[in-house]
Amino acid sequence: MSLVAVEWIESVLIGAVQAGTVFLIASLGEIYAERSGVLNLGMEGMMIVGAAVSFIVTNALGHGYAILAVLLAGLLLGLAHSFLTVSLRLNQIVVGLAITILGLGLGGLLGNAAIRRGIILFLNPEAPERNLIVQEAEKLPDIPIPFLRDIPVLGGMFFRQNGLVYLSLILAIVMWFILFKTRFGLSLRSVGENPAMSDAMGINVFRIRYISMVVCGMLGALAGSYLFIGYQPFWVEGMTQGRGFIALALVILATWNPLRAILGAYLFGGVEALQFRLQVLGVAAQLPQFLLMLPYIVTIATLVLLSLESVRKRIGVPASLGKPYSRE
Amino acid sequence: MRLPRGIRIERRLELPRRTSAALSAVFILLSFLVASAVFEMMGVNSVRTLSTVVSVFLSPPSLLQAVQRGLPIGLAALGLSIAFRMNFWNIGAEGQIYMGMFAATGMVLIHAYYGLIPEPLLMLSMVLAAFIVGGAYCLLPGFLRGRLDVNEILPTLMLNYVATLFVDFLVYGPWRDPQGFSFPLSIPFPQYARMDSFLGHSSYLGLLIMVVIAFLVYGLMQRTTLGFEMRVVGQNLEAARYAGISIFRTLLIGSFIAGGLAGIGGFTLVSGLIGRLRPRASPGYGYTAIIVAFLAGLNPWLIIPAAVFFGGLLVAGETIQAALNLPFAAVQVFQAIIFIMIIVAEFIKRYRVSIRI
Repeated sequence: MSLVAVEWIESVLIGAVQAGTVFLIASLGEIYAERSGVLNLGMEGMMIVGAAVSFIVTNALGHGYAILAVLLAGLLLGLAHSFLTVSLRLNQIVVGLAITILGLGLGGLLGNAAIRRGIILFLNPEAPERNLIVQEAEKLPDIPIPFLRDIPVLGGMFFRQNGLVYLSLILAIVMWFILFKTRFGLSLRSVGENPAMSDAMGINVFRIRYISMVVCGMLGALAGSYLFIGYQPFWVEGMTQGRGFIALALVILATWNPLRAILGAYLFGGVEALQFRLQVLGVAAQLPQFLLMLPYIVTIATLVLLSLESVRKRIGVPASLGKPYSRE
Repeated sequence: MRLPRGIRIERRLELPRRTSAALSAVFILLSFLVASAVFEMMGVNSVRTLSTVVSVFLSPPSLLQAVQRGLPIGLAALGLSIAFRMNFWNIGAEGQIYMGMFAATGMVLIHAYYGLIPEPLLMLSMVLAAFIVGGAYCLLPGFLRGRLDVNEILPTLMLNYVATLFVDFLVYGPWRDPQGFSFPLSIPFPQYARMDSFLGHSSYLGLLIMVVIAFLVYGLMQRTTLGFEMRVVGQNLEAARYAGISIFRTLLIGSFIAGGLAGIGGFTLVSGLIGRLRPRASPGYGYTAIIVAFLAGLNPWLIIPAAVFFGGLLVAGETIQAALNLPFAAVQVFQAIIFIMIIVAEFIKRYRVSIRI
């Protein structure tokens, strides 16, 4: 192979990690929600709010505060979702869609030039004029890791990225450990499996579902902020473009397992990266659309596979997913 | 979170119709208040924004536009009212609308390039094709649910993106107008393929179609065995099985009709509003249809005014964009607040919250 081809493949692989991290962070949150029995269709809305908040707060106060504000926004959305679905036992599909529509609306409003200006000045009256106007924000700096960064291909993929990429990998491992190796994780899974029995065993079903939805909201918003300040720091209304729903698809492909989500995320990220680069090359102008369909089709195929009883048992699909619980 | 001591949630008996309607009205008014609060918090003039919304319904030309925008929403919502009664959670109306647009445009192209369909039959064939293709598109999730017990929520959602991308492919590729200066547009439809060639404005014919279909949906659900079976499947699967109803067959027919009606919604979009196929032609009509179906309590007659109301919101959104220099998102926020208010109202109708110390 020529050197150009090797470089091209390396750039696709690096792009896969960069694009895939959005999916990874979001799907980690969604895995917790679904493992506890709550389907969160509001992911898309949580993501776009995270992106918009990080856009504004970065320009007002910088990255650190931006991440804090994003986590706070996600926490509020997660609380709203769990109040409506867990406490009021409203239909999870309807509430999720409502939150997605609300998030898309709020994201659009926050991104609006006049509104943004007002909020930035409110947060930081001394913000430079430039920060009030620009459609972009400073990107998170890359933090190359000494020695490891020089490994061919892998160095570029995993050791010359920004902090959120590293964080997402650490989170995946920690969240896997909590879910499968701790008492709390066992409770969380059993609530998604059989809430009535868990309740009888003394597990607080409502508290577990609240906690996992709040985690889900925070990670959803964090995924949106990574999309903006960590990946494409240029504001476009509706810039999540359905990535929240792809994250939902990824959860299924990963069969509710945080470690498998890493692989799936980079696979879906790879599709996105490949599509960009093929377009640049001008290869087969019609190919991109069919390539972009792949994640959705793969998801449906996975769902079909999971419908087989034997596969279902072995993987452990949360049996009470989507069903509200009441003690009546 | 266990509820704090003293607060109890109990299931209520059925509320009288009047009380229930009054409650809905109160909550819709409340959503105006909440929306103004949100707008004010962001430094948006809420009085001007909301008065723009109201004024849409007061002038005849913009009311006609509201009806026009309401057509795809209302038709999709009519389909959803069937699906939801069957407890089939079709979130795929958006994709089915795209497939309807694809089919209707396909008929125009067959007519234009091969001359296979005579002029007077073209419109009818477009409607039929949109119905069949939209229906077939919803049949796959219906089949998966009926045969393999795959929950329909994610498949219908995923298929939205597949349909949108498929239409992208067509207009960027093989269906691009050769005289279109390489814009991603199909050829413009001839006048006799446009809804406004009948009865003047396209919203008149559209309203007629919507009323006829609402009547048919009402008749199907309330007056036929099939409709009865669909409702039983929705309410109690065990009872349906016990009564010897073929759940599989009922799901297939129901999902086909639901998708088909959304497909006709897609037809009204290309033949009425736009007059050609273009990418991303629907700004989420299929999702709005879900809100509309809920707002109307799945009642086909109430779906029509609810759809026109949301159509009006979209028209208002464009005015707000142009006149107040606000993003279209302001309308989305308003939509979402109405949606949340409706579901909270549903909760209050079903449960009584009492505080005892």
